[in-house]
Amino acid sequence: MHFPHILEFTHKKNNTIQLNSFNSNVTDCICMYYILEGKFSWMIDLQQHTLYPGDFAVVLPGQRIGGENGILNIGALFGLKISAEDCGKILLGKWSGLTKKEKLSINQILLVNKQQLVLKLKEAQVLMHNLQLELQNEEVGFYTRVNQLLDELFVLVSRQLIRQNSSRRDFPQTFLKLEQTLRQNLAHQWTVEEMAALIGMGTTAFTEKVKNYSGFSPLNYLINIRITEATKLLKKNEVNVTDIALSTGFYSSQHFSTTFKKLTGYTPSEFRKK
Amino acid sequence: MNCIIIIEMGTDAVKVFAFDLSGNLISSSKGHYPTFHEQPDHSEQDPEQMFITMLYILKNLLIEKIYPKKYTVTCICFGSSMHSLLAVDKEGIPLGNAITWADNRGKKEAADLKQSSLGEEIYRATGTPIHPMSSLIKIAWMKNHDPEKFRLAKKFMPIKTYIIQQLTGACVIDYSIASATGLMNIHNLTWDEAALEFAGITPEELPDLHPVFYSGVTLKKEYQRVLKLSPTVKILIGSSDGCLATLGAGVWENSMATITIEDSGAFRIIGDKIIEDPKQQIFNYLLTEKHIITGGPTSNGGVIFNWFAKQFGDFTEAFDIDQSMEMLIEEAAGVEVGSGGLIFLPFLHGERAPIWNPNSRGCYFGVNIRHERKHFIRATIEGILYEMYSIGRTLEPHRHIETLSINGSFASIPFCAQIIADLFNKPVSTISHADSIGMGAFLLSATEMGIYPSLEQASKTVTMHQTYLPNAENHQVYAQYFKVFESLITKVADEFDAISDLQQRYSQ
Repeated sequence: MHFPHILEFTHKKNNTIQLNSFNSNVTDCICMYYILEGKFSWMIDLQQHTLYPGDFAVVLPGQRIGGENGILNIGALFGLKISAEDCGKILLGKWSGLTKKEKLSINQILLVNKQQLVLKLKEAQVLMHNLQLELQNEEVGFYTRVNQLLDELFVLVSRQLIRQNSSRRDFPQTFLKLEQTLRQNLAHQWTVEEMAALIGMGTTAFTEKVKNYSGFSPLNYLINIRITEATKLLKKNEVNVTDIALSTGFYSSQHFSTTFKKLTGYTPSEFRKK
Repeated sequence: MNCIIIIEMGTDAVKVFAFDLSGNLISSSKGHYPTFHEQPDHSEQDPEQMFITMLYILKNLLIEKIYPKKYTVTCICFGSSMHSLLAVDKEGIPLGNAITWADNRGKKEAADLKQSSLGEEIYRATGTPIHPMSSLIKIAWMKNHDPEKFRLAKKFMPIKTYIIQQLTGACVIDYSIASATGLMNIHNLTWDEAALEFAGITPEELPDLHPVFYSGVTLKKEYQRVLKLSPTVKILIGSSDGCLATLGAGVWENSMATITIEDSGAFRIIGDKIIEDPKQQIFNYLLTEKHIITGGPTSNGGVIFNWFAKQFGDFTEAFDIDQSMEMLIEEAAGVEVGSGGLIFLPFLHGERAPIWNPNSRGCYFGVNIRHERKHFIRATIEGILYEMYSIGRTLEPHRHIETLSINGSFASIPFCAQIIADLFNKPVSTISHADSIGMGAFLLSATEMGIYPSLEQASKTVTMHQTYLPNAENHQVYAQYFKVFESLITKVADEFDAISDLQQRYSQ
């Protein structure tokens, strides 16, 4: 097996309607579908979707997908299943040629948008078609080409998600989503590039926009969320200061202590005693 | 040189202003904090985040802008939006988030109380219309739906009290904010027995009541040190955004009223008497015991136009929402007065004054085959302003108003200002300073410090900037459309309930 991460690639023409041809299941891999012909009625995570030619659907590990009434409608589609690593948490495995940062950004973008992973994505057709050719013909260089095409597909999907996200139209909403994502993973050492990529903006535009909207630079905004969460934990009196520091994303208890005191006038332990 | 710092805990952001003692703005800064909507009717904010944001913005303003210019801070005064509620435990630690004014979770509690004679009695005593916005209803909701939190709660306070408590250790509330909780008896300036009984609490569970000029609190040493402030800096507890905006709008004369429209809005007058309203449509909030701010709020101001721009604005050319809104206004300006007979009810957020109906919803009425996109744009703006006019009219029986002072980012758009003038058929002026809340807080502080002999004198220093005169012909047209607007609202009252109910049941 050349590609252990590609669990399945199909180009399917479905001419008859059969019962139980597409039953609802929770997937443990990444499923991608590109619709070529026909009209498909699917349930993805209890939400009804109707897919037409040119539509692209991504289903992530842990999500449920199936045809309405368990039926696969008449039509044609490409289907692709890719395994994820670390119990579905790492979507782009070792096969991917993207940098670590890029992988992380794409991971975040897909997870944040997992309720809206049905996209209009005509550009995906060529990629799926080429992928099919590479997998069938196994010509020289095909190993690298296949993985490149997969990378390209993930990049394309992420960019489209960002565009659909219309951060220009509704920056406050986009910003709120960003804030929620940061809070969910505060221990991570976020960089401005990562945060910008998450809502699909270039770093400079992102910094400008965040400053204008929030009054903070992105990193200062992040530090304030860190201190906010740390304050709550300090008040709870259950967790020790070092653990609070690390769980809220400070490098060390020293770093936490200095930053906290600079803003509040208290060291974390003084604050706790007050 | 001495200066006064104003800290305004607004709905979306904290604003910090620095004024010199003559009322010139030295510098200002803003820090945003988010509002979370865990459920459709819920609207919450993180009190620790609000405090940290305030502290950061204040500290940076002082150290980067104020101290380098050799200013010494002599006074810090607080303002804040009304109706927020935070429950804290016996250690003073917040039990979850603060609930904002926009939260409608207590819809049912409010509807039931409003229909009872107890509701009428509480409204008359407290001056706050019975509505989910008030602390009264929020606490009652908690008692009924979150008994565990209610049991653990040892104090109920607005976010401003929490902020001041963090800084000083004192648990205090000013008359303005208190008079908007629905819990304070505005006639005898104490917590109202009947209201507290309904909420299920005792006066010990509320902050101590003080006039807006109260300054008997001091900054904790740590904050003095980190903010480089002297121990003698005066901490004024201050007032609410609504009362301060009215003071800062310079409408002390009896014949004047002020219109504020930001995301939400209000129509307000100031007087020395509480205005009794048997229809329970208007509020009476206290600036001081002798200065009563009376009026009505709308939940559907600029936020509705913002919604429209998001949905229907052009983003192929516009860089962001502000630019898109500017383009929409240009388009609207090209449409005839009255939008060719297209009428818009703007109640996308339900509505407060004058109908006080959280179930009301938006509606475009009178659409015909000749209406284009541009008519919808103008109708949307006109609808928001018709609603402000209908609030203004509820004050008419009580006060003869000749001129209007407007403020807020939406009302101050020249296109909107002219429509307001035409609708009311009265001259409308904008004020010369950008932020009437900040200005109001400065005037309050300066009066307390003896720079002005009285609030009246202080308010008279506000100068008008630009005046829009009404066009009588336009007023005629608007007046006729307004009749339809008004009667439409009463006619669809049942359908408002029905549709809101269906929306709750079926929409995701």
